Amino acid sequence: MSANAVPMSQWPSDHRYTIPVAGDQDMVTVTIDDKVVQVPRGQLLIAAAQEHGTYIPRFCWHERMKPVGMCRMCLVEVEGMRGLQISCATPVVDGMVVRTESAPVKAAQDGVLEMLLINHPLDCPVCDRGGECPLQDQTLAFGPGESRYVEEKRHFAKPIPISDLVMLDRERCIQCGRCTRFAAEIAGDALIDFGGRGGHTEVITYPDEPFSSYFSGNTVQICPVGALTAKPYRFRARPWDLDSVETSCQACAVGCRGALDSTSNRLVRLLGVDSEPVNHGWLCDKGRYGYEWVHSEARVRAPGLRRGMELEVTSWPQALDAAAAALRRVRDEHGPGAIGVLGGARGTNEDAYAWARFAKGVLRTDNVDAQLADGLPADVVLGMPRATIADLDRARAIVLLGPDLKEELPVLALRVRRAAVDLGVPLIDVAARDHGLTSSAAHVIRHAPGVVQEAVDQVASIIDGITGDGPVVVVLGRPSVAEPAAATIHAASQLAKSHGARFLSALRRGNVHGALDLGLAPGFLPGRVSLDAGRDHLSATWGGTPDATGFDATGILRAAANGTIKALVLVGCDLLTDFPDRALAREALSAVERVVCVGAFPDDSAERADVFLPTGVWGEQAGTTTNLEGRVSVLRRKITPEGRTMEGWRIAAELAARLGSDWDLETVEEVQDEIAQAAPAFAGVDAALLRRARDGVVLPLADHLDEVTFVPATPGAGVSWEPLRPAADEVGNGEVAAPPAPAVALHTWSMEAPAPAAAPRDSYALRVIAARTLYGNDRVTSESPSLARLATSDARLLVSARDRDRIGVEDGTVVRVTSPRASVELPIHVDRSTPEGFAFLATNRDGAGASDLIDLDAPVTDVRVETLS
Amino acid sequence: MAAQETRVVTKFLRERTDDSWTFDAARTHNKAYSALEKAMGMEPAALIDEVTKSGLRGRGGAGFGTGQKWSFLPKDVFPRYLAVNADEGEPATFKDHMLIEKDPHQIVEGSIITSYAIQAHHAFIYLRGEFALGADRLQAAVDDAYANGFLGKNILGSGYDLDLIVHRGAGCYIAGDETGLLSSLEGERAMPRIKPPFPAVQGLYAAPTIVNNVETMSTVPHIVREGGEWYAGMGVNKSTGTRIFSVSGNVERPGNYEIELGVTFRELIDDLAGGVSGGKKLGFFIPGGASSPWLRAEHLDEPLDMDRAAELGTMLGSGAIMVFDETIDPVLVAWRIAKFFAHESCGKCTPCREGSGWLEKVLYRMANGLGRPDDLDLLMGFGNTISPGVTWPPGMTTICQLGPSTMSPTLSLNKYWGEEIRARLAKDADRRTTLQVASA
Amino acid sequence: MGRLSGFRVTLAQVFKPKVTEHYPKEKRPKPERFHGRHVLNRYEDGMEKCIGCELCAGVCPAKCIYVRGADNPPDAPVSPGERYGFVYEINYLRCIHCDLCVEACPTEAITESKLFEFSFTNREDAIYTRDELLVDDEGRARRQPWELWHGGEDDRTSAWMRATAPSGSAEFEGRVSWSGELGFGVRLGEKGQSEESSP
Repeated sequence: MSANAVPMSQWPSDHRYTIPVAGDQDMVTVTIDDKVVQVPRGQLLIAAAQEHGTYIPRFCWHERMKPVGMCRMCLVEVEGMRGLQISCATPVVDGMVVRTESAPVKAAQDGVLEMLLINHPLDCPVCDRGGECPLQDQTLAFGPGESRYVEEKRHFAKPIPISDLVMLDRERCIQCGRCTRFAAEIAGDALIDFGGRGGHTEVITYPDEPFSSYFSGNTVQICPVGALTAKPYRFRARPWDLDSVETSCQACAVGCRGALDSTSNRLVRLLGVDSEPVNHGWLCDKGRYGYEWVHSEARVRAPGLRRGMELEVTSWPQALDAAAAALRRVRDEHGPGAIGVLGGARGTNEDAYAWARFAKGVLRTDNVDAQLADGLPADVVLGMPRATIADLDRARAIVLLGPDLKEELPVLALRVRRAAVDLGVPLIDVAARDHGLTSSAAHVIRHAPGVVQEAVDQVASIIDGITGDGPVVVVLGRPSVAEPAAATIHAASQLAKSHGARFLSALRRGNVHGALDLGLAPGFLPGRVSLDAGRDHLSATWGGTPDATGFDATGILRAAANGTIKALVLVGCDLLTDFPDRALAREALSAVERVVCVGAFPDDSAERADVFLPTGVWGEQAGTTTNLEGRVSVLRRKITPEGRTMEGWRIAAELAARLGSDWDLETVEEVQDEIAQAAPAFAGVDAALLRRARDGVVLPLADHLDEVTFVPATPGAGVSWEPLRPAADEVGNGEVAAPPAPAVALHTWSMEAPAPAAAPRDSYALRVIAARTLYGNDRVTSESPSLARLATSDARLLVSARDRDRIGVEDGTVVRVTSPRASVELPIHVDRSTPEGFAFLATNRDGAGASDLIDLDAPVTDVRVETLS
Repeated sequence: MAAQETRVVTKFLRERTDDSWTFDAARTHNKAYSALEKAMGMEPAALIDEVTKSGLRGRGGAGFGTGQKWSFLPKDVFPRYLAVNADEGEPATFKDHMLIEKDPHQIVEGSIITSYAIQAHHAFIYLRGEFALGADRLQAAVDDAYANGFLGKNILGSGYDLDLIVHRGAGCYIAGDETGLLSSLEGERAMPRIKPPFPAVQGLYAAPTIVNNVETMSTVPHIVREGGEWYAGMGVNKSTGTRIFSVSGNVERPGNYEIELGVTFRELIDDLAGGVSGGKKLGFFIPGGASSPWLRAEHLDEPLDMDRAAELGTMLGSGAIMVFDETIDPVLVAWRIAKFFAHESCGKCTPCREGSGWLEKVLYRMANGLGRPDDLDLLMGFGNTISPGVTWPPGMTTICQLGPSTMSPTLSLNKYWGEEIRARLAKDADRRTTLQVASA
Repeated sequence: MGRLSGFRVTLAQVFKPKVTEHYPKEKRPKPERFHGRHVLNRYEDGMEKCIGCELCAGVCPAKCIYVRGADNPPDAPVSPGERYGFVYEINYLRCIHCDLCVEACPTEAITESKLFEFSFTNREDAIYTRDELLVDDEGRARRQPWELWHGGEDDRTSAWMRATAPSGSAEFEGRVSWSGELGFGVRLGEKGQSEESSP
């Protein structure tokens, strides 16, 4: 290369190759097979035809991806154009006359299918796709009856694993490029591509890198043949064995819609459903394969009662009686304030409501918190101006002010990436270290943990430079549990005040938003109303409410540790794993007199339980869940639970009955109706509405009424490789009565958040960033055998290469890490994402680690690292 | 009178065989960059007019009007790019090879003029990876041009900036397709892209891009120097000027011959290339590279005219004329060409990816005495999927021309030897049956 | 005569040959296409033919077959290929011996013997699992205590019968694969890249 030549780094980088994929608002008239239809100008012909009932066969085209024109299956005749045109890359223009069933088109379809099949092994009987295979179906519908090909077919070793979850059968592959395009265009992990040429074209991975994407399972779903198969589902069932319901995933708070399949009362598969406002048909691998934990052997399937040292299996009446008696005694002797209720962010909305009613209406304690000091204050989450996920697409700018979305809310990361990369929304990345979306960001702002003022000023000036009429959407979460949320909240309040920013919560736990909305937070009552504002309204249904505002999770544990709180009810949470300050959790558990555990697993905290009440879990329980934008969607029951578990809300109702309060709730629908009536934010969201709303409803309904869709599934869909259409139970007519206004004014956030005092940097110490990774020691991962393989369970200290060299050790050396709170020994590893002066610790790891080092009172967590010698 | 070469592009390199590629020789003896000096004094639009006036048509294969192509660039959309297609991969074509190795300055000069005409500030020469010597000489020429102020900032004091980058490909036939070339240049797999958008609208890095052949670029300086009308005065009909033809196969003197278009095939093959070798009779010849359908002795008196070739159901393509004498089995030739296409199909479109391999397998057994009686009809049958109608100019079901090109040999077999081949296949089948009976 | 006239039919029968059979001591040979109790076959090398594809279960009108496939253990494969029949059960309380499973089977793994005399004293016995259905090492059906086998009933199980050829044209009846046998157009299969690169 000449010295004068331009270095490649200075070449124009914007090489986005665009093909018109979406129509504008003008409608044009098109004739498709003698049918005159009105379609938006510029819409792709294949999509326009499908919307008007003409299915054009296709393999490579996927409506969420750019057309590529590889398979040549969608050839149609367009009057006035020479030869046949691929309808997947032909935008409609006014007056177009299209024929999809003429003789040349049929000949082409027949010919293309014959070509596709000459090298296809036709091992349908052993193929997972057999029975729901687009190649089978389309060959039957459009293909030749027999082949003229008599030579030997192409052969490859098969199947080969291309990642820990996905197997590739190159003989079956028809080279449509759906998987490679998904990886590059949608997921941004271009780890698979084509190799070879001609008939020997094959999908390959890089020699030294497996296809280890968090989204690899989507490629299996969109594969039009059985070339990509998922290890967890391989040979578990044939398609005709499966029975399916549509439900929402609860692995994180995005609430992706999925079709949950079971056979012989075992969950075997979750497929993404193309829900326009939420997940566009994509799922992360954790959600997709996380159903396995439901069948874990470790689950508790019968109630247990402590007799001596052991939890003994007992009957429900005995267990419930014991739990109720324990709680009654503590309440009567020490007052309602001596009881704390923690957790509830993993169940259904109905569970959350029932526990809130039980705690606040029956026990009358306000020491209730669904978050375990790892989120944001309920005051902010419940009262902040909200954005929806769809707002990302039309935002003026997106500001990331929270955790690594790819690790915590993977499908939200896909939506943010789409907005930034495909739709050109400026993405402003404010974080302490690089993460999964950094490469998509237009502006990258780095700051030290707990010090964000400077960064916020920069963000403000960047936004000022961006014109546009959309809202500024801030994805707000807890970037690190090693420091309090105060700094982040202060930043958020400034952006809200200066730019009218709207917020998308990035809290992670499956139904944490439902739990907060339904009153599992101190100072709040169901329906996003504060205790004082909603007291009268709720008392009318409940017969009473707590007298005073209680403690949050940290406060509850402190009170338990110092003896003020005598009994803890743990609803689906493991304090020793989930709470960021393990020492405090341990102290509280040992000090408290009575522990009632409600959950699915015999976790560490349950060792301390006096009564264990096993609940049903996702897939076994009907109900609703609320995602991070406040969307309430329906969860369906797919399998009959094994053993003797009980739905969460029913346990609360039974306990309430034993404490003298009969709720008269028999079905989930009755609970939903009571929520709609009692919880102000849920006004109008009753069982009848939920059944009809296709993508769920965003709270409060009055503000989002026009976004609710009642349209039934469109024809031509229903096979898994196409985007699955959300199905409605009943065909609605799109009309819904205006919901009653909330009976009580909903809580709003005052946006008054004082700036935390800046913590001085200690130049000898590393400042800790502690956050979750997607796979860790959480139950969904560790109890799902397929996912457990992917998790690194050991804790590691990740530092920059410079810091590692300064300490003077090799990668993997165990070092002593000392914070003001404790000292632990951890292996040290170099991490390119972590800047100098910081250290990253994943929180969801076994053994000593982040939660031993973190002191919740300290403004930041600084650690010193010493070599062991 | 025997036909003569009309040397325009090849004049200098033929005359100075020892050092035609050096800057000094080219500058001193070939007035290299003098056309550039002239062009810098002209308006870009005037340059495009001049080239349009010359009637110059792309020398890469499609024969599209060069000036016309340049004028298709959308107005006021910048940046724009020029990509010079030096990925000469068509079997039996070796004209660009010669131009690159022997007269790189001519290409560089043409590329600079073209870039100026289309107002591009980055130009790329996508060079076939196998051209090792060519890469060295071309790079040296580019470096010399930079050193002497013909490239870089403020070229010849005109205020016009241009960077020219020589990019070596990795050995892929389909990178010679214009969109395949652009993909490869962007660092992707060389696979053609769907059109529209055409490269002139969204090409390299989604910016308007002109892709021109090396020979076209080499011709541009001469047109600028001598004027479009001078160039248009040569040639015949709409095929103006001169063209280099690579004659190979069973001829006495294979090689590159630059002739005025309009000369007949007979003059080219008999007079210039010395006729069919060994005094044998001509069997058939391929007029425009492996992609083009074939011609036979009865077409020898047809002129080398792009439009006339289209009327004959073939094309002058890349200008590679392969001559086969009467002893050559056309089926064997067809198989060998099919094997090339099967190997080079990029794998993007189904009909080409799968069809080219199938074609090769069937032609293999046909050529080796293992054919079945209906094999030719089978080829024509599934060939319909690759190129509906199996005619020329071809119907397309694929993105690029490679798909239908794979059918050219079969098309020719069926057209000229259809009955003969069917009879031969029937005989082959009979013979095998007899053998089986005998052995049983 | 008068008195004997009433015995005319009886007397006439006395001299005719007897047609009564001493069942079960003697048995009539079964028709060629008789449908009896199933067997699961093996290849000559002992590999099971069943690949667990569940086509038999899918086609069964009585829904009496339950099959589940599993990944073949690579070091000790049960059947050729990726998948084998991990669970195979036929509930004979429901089976109507229609033989559709036999027709559906792509590998001739399931066929029907001529045995029809088996009765159960409990429902458990009526569900035949892979252990009972699979032929033994000699390729013979495993005889259960409650089955009354007679000689030859396990010799000829129902054949694999197809109404038409796989390609849909009756012209090719019986030609399961027509690539190799015809003797022309045959070359060695081209190797895949992985085969070339792997040792």
